Amino acid sequence: MGFASHARPTIMKRRTFYMFMSPSLLVMLALMVFPLLTSVWLSTQYMTFRNINEPEFVGLANYIAVFDDQKFWAAFTFTMTFIAIAVPLQIFTGFLIAVLLDQVSRRIRGAYLAAFLMPFIVVPVVGTLMVKQLFESGGLVAWAYREIIGSRFILTEQSVKSLIIIHALWAATPFPLIVFFAGLQTLPEELVEASMIDGATRLRQIRYIMIPHLRSLFVFVGLISIMDAYRVFDSIFVLTEQNPIYKAEVMMLYTFRTAMSVQRLGKANAMSVITVVMILVVLVPFLLRTYKEQTEER
Amino acid sequence: MKRIENRYALAFIYLLLTAYAIFSVIPFFWTTIQSFKTPRQANSRVPLFIFEPTADNYTDLWLKAIPDDPFFIAIVLVAIFGLLVLVAINARRFPISRGYVYLAVLALGFAVLWSIPGYIKTQTFYDYFLNTIIVTAGTICISISIGCMAGYGLARYSGIAGVVILVAALGFRSLPGMSYILPYWWFGQRSGLYDTHILLIITLVAINQPFTIWMLRSFFMNIPKEIEESAMVDGANRLTAFISVIIPIMWPGIISTALFTLLLAYSDFLLVRILTQSNWTLTVAISKYAAGEDPGHITLAAAAAVSAAVPIIIVVFIFQGQLVKGLTAGAVKG
Repeated sequence: MGFASHARPTIMKRRTFYMFMSPSLLVMLALMVFPLLTSVWLSTQYMTFRNINEPEFVGLANYIAVFDDQKFWAAFTFTMTFIAIAVPLQIFTGFLIAVLLDQVSRRIRGAYLAAFLMPFIVVPVVGTLMVKQLFESGGLVAWAYREIIGSRFILTEQSVKSLIIIHALWAATPFPLIVFFAGLQTLPEELVEASMIDGATRLRQIRYIMIPHLRSLFVFVGLISIMDAYRVFDSIFVLTEQNPIYKAEVMMLYTFRTAMSVQRLGKANAMSVITVVMILVVLVPFLLRTYKEQTEER
Repeated sequence: MKRIENRYALAFIYLLLTAYAIFSVIPFFWTTIQSFKTPRQANSRVPLFIFEPTADNYTDLWLKAIPDDPFFIAIVLVAIFGLLVLVAINARRFPISRGYVYLAVLALGFAVLWSIPGYIKTQTFYDYFLNTIIVTAGTICISISIGCMAGYGLARYSGIAGVVILVAALGFRSLPGMSYILPYWWFGQRSGLYDTHILLIITLVAINQPFTIWMLRSFFMNIPKEIEESAMVDGANRLTAFISVIIPIMWPGIISTALFTLLLAYSDFLLVRILTQSNWTLTVAISKYAAGEDPGHITLAAAAAVSAAVPIIIVVFIFQGQLVKGLTAGAVKG
């Protein structure tokens, strides 16, 4: 671009840019930046549903209460366990299925893809409700469990946690699957053919050609999946709605209950501020990389 | 790539793929079956696959009383909506701008949907359905209008401010909804907007704005600059060029982005759950059916889940081409 674009009479001026940008920018400032600041302010207040208009300033007491809270740490531990189990499982399954799908003939792929993408298309709450149907007293899985194990399927802390992870595998695998499958379609043919002539086995091809080719996608998918797993709410809310005693709470759910059931709004805001700080630690390097990429592009 | 020739290996691959496909679709299959059973059949000890189907769950869910001539009404409704969808799909063949055609179709569709309770006694579930439509349509209209302007600006402006805005938007997008929604709740309580559609729409627009501007920007980047430049050389200013030259060729991108916005707004749960008391959308309403003690709740919940899934599946089926286009536009930049 450089000189040529400066010579053009039609290059966009800064004023024009802000004119086009302003409605969107205003919405984001008023409803994203401002609420985050409000959240920080609310986290220093004592507030229940009764004193919304006259909250009481308590300084850092809410943060101390959060760090002293056993349930918060239980929710934190479960969130981390959930990420550590669900995300690798999703990525591994997604990659495996994408590689296998890449091997079958083109005609049949469409039908498989349509089936694989069903959990991705449907609304999360609806999908969760549908998975839950399998485990209800007359459900298919509940029946199979009774036939094979010999005892009734009941919801305990352990079984609810397993159910949550099975559901996460069902609901979130389509995303890595479709991204990896799309990535495999861009794999250069020559590379694969050359390796075949060299006598490489399938496994070595996967290890030395496919995985390096998809490296940037692994980073991208990994980041998005971790973020999604971190803020998972809908499915766990639906799966545990009747029985909050099962302690299968993630941080979002515990924040929700602190705000809406226990009515400690200050404390809930303190938790969400802590969450934001923790996410930013993961996110900032990625944002810096994006910033670099975007500035280089122009 | 050279395909696998070993027959056993190939059979094994098909076996694994089919197993995973079954895993993916079995909840849909089972829930649909359960939704056509009586509570007694649904709770039987051995799962029933052959039974006499009943539509009672659906009529209980949607209607207070069954109208006298249900078939006639069903046929009329299917005919009207089929016609509207046909007009919308063929919008570009009309001599007027596509935007007007879509607006007319939407207005007619709304008029029909809102007049239905005048003829048929509907349950509250139908009201939640209408709420969902208001909120989704409102979010799409506002989000796309302001997003188009921003996306265009971001695609054409070469200053550093554009990059800063894009990266900041990406950061905001990655934060959990909870960190915005608690302040929204407080704001809603203080301003009296709590439990209104307006609050839901403006907050959904804000939450989806980062995604919208990224996606629209990548579509605008694919439109060559020369197109509006030639219009501007002819004396049009940039805004006129944008409206009269760029928007008409942007429709595929706009439709793709609108579809993703639709999916996001339709499926939002946390925001609606916290910001409403009774003006629920479908997602929140059906989560209420998940919890229940009486044996009838299983079949009713199944019917509710299927009812909420069907509109989305229809939309995805009709617009699958645009969705793929949107996904690839996102992936290229992602």
